[in-house]
Amino acid sequence: MTHQTKPGLHPAGLAYAAEHKAGTLDRREFLTRTTALGLTASAAYGLIGMASPAQAEGHAQSGGTLRMQMETKALKDPRTYDWSELANFSRGWLEYLVEYNRDGSLRGMLLESWEANENATVFTLKVRPGVTWNNGDAFTADDVARNITGWCDGNVEGNSMATRMVSLIDSDTKTARDGAIVVVDDMTVQLNLTAPDITVMIGMADYPAAIVHADFDGGDPSENPVGTGPYLPTQNDVGIKQVLQRNADHTWWGTEVYGGPYLDTIEYIDYGTDPAAYISGAESGEIDATYQTVGDFVDIFDGLGWNKSEAVTAATLCVRFNQLQEPYDNVAVRRALQKAVDNSIILELGYNGLGTTAENHHVCPIHPEYAELPPQIVDPVAAKAELDEAGHGDTEFELISVDDAWVAASSDAVAAQLRDAGMNITRTVLPGSTFWNDWTKYPFSATEWNMRPLGVQVLALAYRSGEAWNETAFSNAEFDAKLAEAMAILDADKRSEVMADVEKIMQDEGVMIQPFWRSIFRHMAPNVRGTDMHPTFEHHHYKWWVEA
Amino acid sequence: MLLFLARKTLGMLVTALCLTLIVFFLTNLSPNLEKLAKSELGARITDDEVASWLDKNGYAQPTLVRYGEWLGVLPGWTRDNDGEFTGRCIDGKADAETAASASRFCGVVQGDWGESSVFKRDVGEVVSRALKLTGKLMLCVMLVMVPGALIVGVLAGMREGSRLDRSLSTLSILTTATPEYVSGVVLVAIFASSAVGLKWLNGSATSAMDNITIANFTLPVLTIALYGMGYIARMTRASMTEVMTAQYIRTARLKGVSFYNVVMKHALRNALIAPFTVIMLQFPWLLNGVVIVETLFNYKGFGWTLVQAASNNDIELLLAVSVVSVFVVLISQLISDIGYVFLNPRIRIT
Repeated sequence: MTHQTKPGLHPAGLAYAAEHKAGTLDRREFLTRTTALGLTASAAYGLIGMASPAQAEGHAQSGGTLRMQMETKALKDPRTYDWSELANFSRGWLEYLVEYNRDGSLRGMLLESWEANENATVFTLKVRPGVTWNNGDAFTADDVARNITGWCDGNVEGNSMATRMVSLIDSDTKTARDGAIVVVDDMTVQLNLTAPDITVMIGMADYPAAIVHADFDGGDPSENPVGTGPYLPTQNDVGIKQVLQRNADHTWWGTEVYGGPYLDTIEYIDYGTDPAAYISGAESGEIDATYQTVGDFVDIFDGLGWNKSEAVTAATLCVRFNQLQEPYDNVAVRRALQKAVDNSIILELGYNGLGTTAENHHVCPIHPEYAELPPQIVDPVAAKAELDEAGHGDTEFELISVDDAWVAASSDAVAAQLRDAGMNITRTVLPGSTFWNDWTKYPFSATEWNMRPLGVQVLALAYRSGEAWNETAFSNAEFDAKLAEAMAILDADKRSEVMADVEKIMQDEGVMIQPFWRSIFRHMAPNVRGTDMHPTFEHHHYKWWVEA
Repeated sequence: MLLFLARKTLGMLVTALCLTLIVFFLTNLSPNLEKLAKSELGARITDDEVASWLDKNGYAQPTLVRYGEWLGVLPGWTRDNDGEFTGRCIDGKADAETAASASRFCGVVQGDWGESSVFKRDVGEVVSRALKLTGKLMLCVMLVMVPGALIVGVLAGMREGSRLDRSLSTLSILTTATPEYVSGVVLVAIFASSAVGLKWLNGSATSAMDNITIANFTLPVLTIALYGMGYIARMTRASMTEVMTAQYIRTARLKGVSFYNVVMKHALRNALIAPFTVIMLQFPWLLNGVVIVETLFNYKGFGWTLVQAASNNDIELLLAVSVVSVFVVLISQLISDIGYVFLNPRIRIT
């Protein structure tokens, strides 16, 4: 983390440091925000008078094979990725411009450094020198500009990067605005934003932002695996197994910068969606690590003597209403259902208490702009009365969820509380293969959301009017305006003031029942090192190794 | 005999045709096509994107036309996107020249089974990979089940009502009455679980796909075999007891033939006719069983492939899977019809 160099210091960095020292900004948030502005992690630690944590890779051993349980899905154009699993396989050879780390900091990968102007409307990106593609081509500013332009193309079906690059896009043509992305020289790219946008750099660390070569034609990237990374795909059997093999003919830039890679082979083996199968695999000695361990299985894997790695996250479950569908178009109904549910009980029953309770507005205390609101009132009796008043006392509600263990258990707990409050509710559990076909359209269902590093990000993705992933069909002009305002404010305290309003609107409109923020876990065999759980499920292969 | 074979083959083709038409129709209902578009483009796309994808990939045509294309009796669709051609018979995007030289028909008749949308491979490749794995499983199951069932059945049936008969019969009823999804879980709990069980064997057969060992293959094989074994054993026992009361057996015994020889030389062959049909009937039943067992033990064979194809609405793979199933069922019946002739010379096939 000590290799990124940058002269000068973004003024906001000092402001953040002062906030941190005053205790209004915790270390994790401080790191996320200062590194997003172009500070190195060590410089950021320096600002608050701390030394950068020493890395424990000094005694890492090279060689060996690591087998991890993971659903192996079919690859496609990276910018259309809809599952972290896809990216985690292609991370072997397709790398990212920047990397989001477990401590909340952002560090340069294919970019050596970046800096923002004072109001965060111009970002200057410096390409890391000495990086080559595994076909021998040099990696230059043109590659960076071409990929960013590709992300901005909203006409590509399923391209979710476009929603992360809004401030670079011309809303009429749905492509990159003229002059938004400028190649200054071979090693420098300048981004000119329409409005201050603090999420641009963090968006580049997200899993669909894999950097592809000029020859890539938009299909399966494993067919012609040209990339900058240290591994190559040698087997890609969807639903069965994916294998990454160390690329012996390619000198990886990161070896001298960050160290690694250590492993010769990484195997991803598919055990479906049933955690009981992961246990069988582990007991049979077929895997060395899980992708994620959930619910009751955390204790069971502990019992096998495996090591546990925990990541605190803003990942959550939204038991949401679709406001286009009867009877959830009535805000009184939504509020009444919300009022009947005690979130702390859902956390206990649905997720074994492995997290913190949430407040029905999808902004997490670990987000820098979180504003604390007065606690919500839970009152099943009053809730039932309000529901009767709205004329839906006898309406039968149906809560749909996927059959994943903890999602189903949490939904069951929600339904049980509604039932206890005297409401008429049925539960429907769908298999994962069918659930996601209509996930944005169910009237009342539970959706798992992974975390985004900033609070405004997921609100922009899921609750802004007309967004593709807006499953609640929430459309509120005031909310949109306030959110846009918040997204332009660099200063966290000021942003937090606006966010208080945003959060309040979310609660008042009864958008969803959001029971808890979950911690996520991974288990690994005692000889496996460096495969720590990552809050956004990223696999940093070059950090992994196994003890012989 | 030849006429018989010809008639059977024709029947098989007609059955396959009817079944594929039904499967084709069901998988092409519009919600299923939407599911397909979403599994191709991502779970979280809009309705417009779905419609545009379906149109671009030829799914907007009438169902019967596309069934004809799949069969290879109608020319495959082509589409001109400003000089870039796509089409059923064209791989990816092509220019006008390549598009013109591509074959017009590409369907089952031409030997082209299409591409699996789940696995992104040729259907032929996926099915043969799956059949190879399931073949290994089936072979092991047959090797355990058939001799086991016959021995149990003959032992139980040679002295009706004896203590041996009663205990073996109870055992066979018990195993047949326990479905695979129960016996599989019980076996895993007893033999594989490290929390409560003996931990002798593996509860997962994933590694058996590359390398079969006693540890990783015993439980899946046993789960299927136990279920079929009880049924065959019951049939063998019934048939054996009937033969044992026949006149010629009494004659043989009065002649002074030893009990062993009566059973082995006189009774066994006649007693095997009924179980033979049952064993052949077990093939389609086993296909049923492998769906459960392969999913339970995470063994990626034919049953697992069927589940994946069905749950993801993988049209062309599902069609191929149904054709294979039709052939497995009907060919095993054909073999049992022919097998009769050899077991019982009084039966003739004309």
